[in-house]
Amino acid sequence: MSHANARDDELRQGPRHLAGQNRIRLIGLCFCAAFLVISGQLTRLTLFPKADDSRNMPVLVDHLPRPDITDRNGVLLATDVAVASLYADPRKIIDIDEAVELLTATVPDLDAKALRAKLMAPGRAFAWLKRQVTPEERDAVYNLGIPGVGFVNERRRVYPQGHLASHVVGYVDRDTKGIAGIEKYLDDQGALFTASLAEPGEHATQPAEMSIDIRVQAAIVDELTTAMVKFRAIAAGGILLDITTGEVLALVSLPDFNPNQEKKNFTIEQSNKMTSGVYELGSVIKAVTFAMAFDYGTVNLSSRFDARFPLVIGNARINDYHAKRAILTVPEIFTNSSNIGTAKMALAVGTERHQEFLRRVGLFDRLVTELPESAKPLLPRRWSKLATATAAFGHGFAVQPLQGAAVVAGLINGGHMMTPTFLKRSAEDAMALSKTIVKPETSEKLRYLFRLNATEGTASKADVIGYRIGGKTGTAEKVVAGRYSKDKRLNSFIGAFPMDNPRYLLLVMLDEPKATPETYGFATSGWNAVPAGGTIIERIAPMLGVAPMFTPEDLEKLAKLDKARKKG
Amino acid sequence: MHKFLNAILVLTVLVSGFFLYTLEHQTRGLERQIVKLDLGIVEEQDNVKFLNAEWSSLTRPDRLKQLAQQYIGLETLQARQILKPEELAARVPAEPIIKLEADGSDPIGAIIDKMQ
Repeated sequence: MSHANARDDELRQGPRHLAGQNRIRLIGLCFCAAFLVISGQLTRLTLFPKADDSRNMPVLVDHLPRPDITDRNGVLLATDVAVASLYADPRKIIDIDEAVELLTATVPDLDAKALRAKLMAPGRAFAWLKRQVTPEERDAVYNLGIPGVGFVNERRRVYPQGHLASHVVGYVDRDTKGIAGIEKYLDDQGALFTASLAEPGEHATQPAEMSIDIRVQAAIVDELTTAMVKFRAIAAGGILLDITTGEVLALVSLPDFNPNQEKKNFTIEQSNKMTSGVYELGSVIKAVTFAMAFDYGTVNLSSRFDARFPLVIGNARINDYHAKRAILTVPEIFTNSSNIGTAKMALAVGTERHQEFLRRVGLFDRLVTELPESAKPLLPRRWSKLATATAAFGHGFAVQPLQGAAVVAGLINGGHMMTPTFLKRSAEDAMALSKTIVKPETSEKLRYLFRLNATEGTASKADVIGYRIGGKTGTAEKVVAGRYSKDKRLNSFIGAFPMDNPRYLLLVMLDEPKATPETYGFATSGWNAVPAGGTIIERIAPMLGVAPMFTPEDLEKLAKLDKARKKG
Repeated sequence: MHKFLNAILVLTVLVSGFFLYTLEHQTRGLERQIVKLDLGIVEEQDNVKFLNAEWSSLTRPDRLKQLAQQYIGLETLQARQILKPEELAARVPAEPIIKLEADGSDPIGAIIDKMQ
């Protein structure tokens, strides 16, 4: 239309030849404009190519990259590896017999019959031959050069340390979503947290550093496995805490599992008993009662209590296992693990203040750490006089073993209650987050009792000469069908070392250990959990950099041991 | 004059066109190389990750313990086997236990001598 109008205008305005010239100019102008646009665009495209168009980078990571997980020394605990999966397009294979022959020769675990059936199936365009082949197999099959056989790259989460720290690290499901342990914690922190560990736009990610020391973890797993077999226990557990930072250096729960397993059909026995189960820790809890009595000032180290007769409250009788039938001083109550004495100490403090103290150290609340599996403490429903008396020596209330260890750690480290952590933490950070629960003097007295108990009390079998160990034993009767069983026990040992300046706290637990000939028919904690704790400390102390120190008496003892060995 | 100018212009167009084409071709080649190298980097990174995982798996403390017991008979370190530096002097024998030089075979000593 516009052209037609222009021509009409020209016709009206001037002579013919002028109109012709104008037309040529107009066309020339149009061409010029068109060329300008084309050359402009050409220049633009040449100078500023679209970055994502010009390169076809392969997209290997289709989800947010998961960070590696390492222990405190940088040993890899979990990582992603690229694995190739072998598939075939049967329509493209020229000679099926030859392909089958070549493939079965290169990949030994391929079944020739099944393979042939897959490739012969009419009209089939895709068939997995083998998921997740090794890099060697991939290269070998690649070199065969069979048409129609190819690879798809996949990512797979692997746990190189296998079962060693399985409960802490946890595992992921098929879509690499964390469903247990720290793996779940990483996911629960959200994509932001995961991505903050990953450098933007980079393939590499910052590893998540845990507080676990895998060497210590392995040593504890090893010793506990030995103890479990030796005493025919149904389960065992161990925790090592750094009491100055609240870091968990090792957490073992046996039986454990292998997180690399294809099907994650783990049984309840394989669950993490150290945090997801609650147990009556028995006499180990006496440490809490003693700290309470010292802190309220109701007793001191020279106080005495009458433990000659069983304590009768209502129609219940409290008796001693290692009955001394004597008037005992406070240190004697501790080293003999007297129930009567401890119950009397708690009653002297009073029911109200007992509850107040337990609340202060956090035993009324669920302990929440990075591990998603955590159980609430089980407490007496009605807090009567009897409840106070029995709770004083650990009967009638059950806690996560980790929580028990954390409370004792807080009582021994000078009274600073720290929530245990599975991630690396400095002592300053831990101190800033800690809560003061008892006076430093109380902590001092408790350390004295712990050391005394290891030199001459129930925990003497753990006293590895040189490492200044202190400890408390616990033998709790298990509740079977609502009643305390006489022959099913949960034995525990809580030890700290080196006692002159405690740094590490070890909790050992054996579930239903049996008596053996070497223990002369005894199955209490002092005969199994305590020596196991001793051997563990002997193995891990050098790893933790605890230097042995020998007093003249120690050297004498060692000389005697040497003599006995030479004779034997 | 016009003809000459036109000839020069045509020549310029041809030359610059050829130049542009070669440049473009080179760029394409370089880009392909970049993609290839990027792929190579990804593959190498994957290899590194795989080898790290393998290393971590092969140096598992429980595996090392088993190997140490099987091949070199190592046992758990005992407290009294650890010495302080100042206690070391008392333990050093006056005469070296193995006298390599006397046997006439001291390969390490020979290397040191050579270097001097």
